[in-house]
Amino acid sequence: MKILVCVTSVPDTTAKISFTDGDTKFNKAGVTYITGPYDDYALSRAVELKEQHGGTVTVLNVGEADAEPVIRKCLAIGADDAIRVNCEATDSYFVATQIANIAAQEKYDLILMGRESIDFNSGVVHGLVAELLGIPSLSPVMKLDIEGSTAKITREIEGGKENLEASLPLVLGCQEPIAEWKIPNMRGIMTARTKPLKVIEPVGEGLTSTDKYELPAPKGACKMILAENAEELITLLKTEAKVL
Amino acid sequence: MNKQYSRRNLDFMLKEVLQVAELTKFSYFQDYTPDMFDMVLDTAEEIADKILRNAYVSSDRNQPQLINGQVKVHPAVKDYVKAMGDAGMIAATFDYENGGQQLPTVVNAASEMIRGSANNAFVMFTGLTAGSANLIFSFGSDELKEKYAQRMVTGEWTGSMCLTEPQAGSSLSDVITTAFPQSDGTFKIKGQKVFISAGDHDIADNIIHLVLARIEGAPLGTKGISLFVVPKFRANANGTEFNVDNDVISTGIYHKMGQKATPAMHLTFGDKDNSIGYLVGEANKGLSYMFQMMNEARLGVGMGGTYIASAAYYASLEYAKERPQGRKLNNKNLEEEQTYIINHPDVKRMLLFQKAVVEGSLALLLECYHWQDMIHALGKTSEEAKPYQLMLDLMTTVAKTYPAEMGIKAVNEGLQVLGGYGYTEDFPLEQMARDVRIMSIYEGTTGIHSLNLLGRGVTLNNGKAPQLLFNEIMKSIELANTFDELKPYAEKLEKELGRLQKVTMHLLSIAAKGDNEAFLADANLYMEFFGITTVAWIWLKQAIVAKQALITQSLEESETSFYESKIHTMKFFYHYELIKNYALATRLTDNTLLTVDSEKLGVFQ
Repeated sequence: MKILVCVTSVPDTTAKISFTDGDTKFNKAGVTYITGPYDDYALSRAVELKEQHGGTVTVLNVGEADAEPVIRKCLAIGADDAIRVNCEATDSYFVATQIANIAAQEKYDLILMGRESIDFNSGVVHGLVAELLGIPSLSPVMKLDIEGSTAKITREIEGGKENLEASLPLVLGCQEPIAEWKIPNMRGIMTARTKPLKVIEPVGEGLTSTDKYELPAPKGACKMILAENAEELITLLKTEAKVL
Repeated sequence: MNKQYSRRNLDFMLKEVLQVAELTKFSYFQDYTPDMFDMVLDTAEEIADKILRNAYVSSDRNQPQLINGQVKVHPAVKDYVKAMGDAGMIAATFDYENGGQQLPTVVNAASEMIRGSANNAFVMFTGLTAGSANLIFSFGSDELKEKYAQRMVTGEWTGSMCLTEPQAGSSLSDVITTAFPQSDGTFKIKGQKVFISAGDHDIADNIIHLVLARIEGAPLGTKGISLFVVPKFRANANGTEFNVDNDVISTGIYHKMGQKATPAMHLTFGDKDNSIGYLVGEANKGLSYMFQMMNEARLGVGMGGTYIASAAYYASLEYAKERPQGRKLNNKNLEEEQTYIINHPDVKRMLLFQKAVVEGSLALLLECYHWQDMIHALGKTSEEAKPYQLMLDLMTTVAKTYPAEMGIKAVNEGLQVLGGYGYTEDFPLEQMARDVRIMSIYEGTTGIHSLNLLGRGVTLNNGKAPQLLFNEIMKSIELANTFDELKPYAEKLEKELGRLQKVTMHLLSIAAKGDNEAFLADANLYMEFFGITTVAWIWLKQAIVAKQALITQSLEESETSFYESKIHTMKFFYHYELIKNYALATRLTDNTLLTVDSEKLGVFQ
């Protein structure tokens, strides 16, 4: 089985967010980057499926050279090789175009990725990739098994779960608990540096640019109102919070 | 819980101060590239994030229980040991042939800093397993390596170190656990061991105890002590399974002040005359074998003092930034809002003290681990490795004691920053204060190490080791003298180095008269003096690198701030800590022996 796992390199969830260049660029100084947590689950399941069924796992990142430590980590976890499309990931359509371009050439049985990235959280790339390739897409996938050319899937739906089957090839947006999280082991770290990492140039151009970033308003101080003072609460909601 | 250590500081130490990338030029470490070291630390962070940190408080509140002879520990211990085994990190520094990955010990120590700051008690399980497996690999037969050590490095089985007995703690020469030779070459072990960390639990199928015992009829004292592998379960008759109860009984469990997640056991061997041990190496050489492990473990204890103090520093720093209380001392206007306590000079002093201790201790320890790596890189028996070995032998005892003793003080200051809240279970400081207290006791008390430093270390090889160390310190002083900002500090350090040499000569002159009681009476204070001086050196070394970066690089604001904080903290150490040497030197050169004479004068009534 040939599996492509698309991974994002995103700021650590505890990173302090700030901007530069007149709030048009994210300030990367001092920020630790990690593999997108949902992508991590997708990769872990891909490695498990490879262990069960054989085949290969390729990691794909659309991003700049500073994403390579994250890509190497994916190789250390168990991917066989990696591709980096050398560009800034400006918008979801642009990213999907790059993925689809590579997938169209390589004919993967499964294209896995996180259900969304955790930086811009658009959550649409899997759908766009599938559309561009003309194959089905499902998300968010919580359970995935492969029997022959059929994928047995459980995905989360409003208020519950849905079990379904679909034929390969497929594009899937993944989330926990699809696999147990994996950490790079020492042997993986030792072998990761010799695994191939191909850098290719993008096709086309991004359709969007950022005019300005803005941080959410800081949280206000918490005021404790005794339960018997509901009137005071209503007054404050009207006059201070101005939500009533 | 937020940050408990600084990855930026670890990177600074590894990449800029110690330049560990240079190690990869040696054949022993040639399979590494510097980015792989980053990945090892990332893996440690993941284990800390996903397992260790979450269990820190709950494993303290739900301490191990001894029920019907079986110890139950917190379930996350099993997850941790499995994750470490799966990641190949229990034995990462071992040779390839012993199931290791020849990872530099300095990188492994940085990994331990990350894991230990998240949960210091769990780290004991893997540290003890690695230490005992390493003993078997170093001195055991091929059969012992294959049967036991290979299953320990994967985390399938764990290990313990059984040294202390009820009557033999610091004085190991009084060990009486006995090994009775059997016709098949094995030994029947009989005796009791106390304070055995991770000596029993329910997370692995077998526990391999490394036991010091005296073969029946062996000479008295340290020359009659041998080392044995004594598994909790030994192999069945055909050797296919390890399911035979080896008569190692958990007689009791100590309810400790801190590090509660690691059970400290009272073990009884051979109560039913059925505990079989297997000799490691040669008879009567057990203590010298054990000392190899103990020296490594001593640096590990120094790390313990450091990473707990680090966690406490960041917890108190976070609190100080968020807690408004009072107004600035020059501001009498009560109409104004209260200021955050981090703005009060005394709170800043407490925070700077913690930072100085944490980063100074870490730097001293990493320097020692780097020497250890240089010994590996150059070949253990080579001439080139000898200076590193001598300095390591001298400084191990200091790098254990300074972080342990000062870590306790640093955590105490961290708790003080929180005021009354620090004394409650709502914040982690009280747990950290309990956890760190053991560090000056583990692997030789401060008193024992101080006797070792003054009584043995500084005179070994005709004083060659301190001479080598002082040469290294002088190199830093010369370099610091080339920067105007650092020059006054280089001069201070040179003066203190001279003072240390004078004090040492004074004490050695007492030793030359044969009065050991007078010579060693204040060894503890000498250790403190030695520790402060060497940490002052290691701070100057960091400041030099920071100054060079500030001068030669175009830096982002956060980076400028990082390097400036290094220089500022160095200055704090010199102005607040190094000055203590004056008082210590005064006492150490004062021949009024109040402690030696106190007993006969009837002071203790």
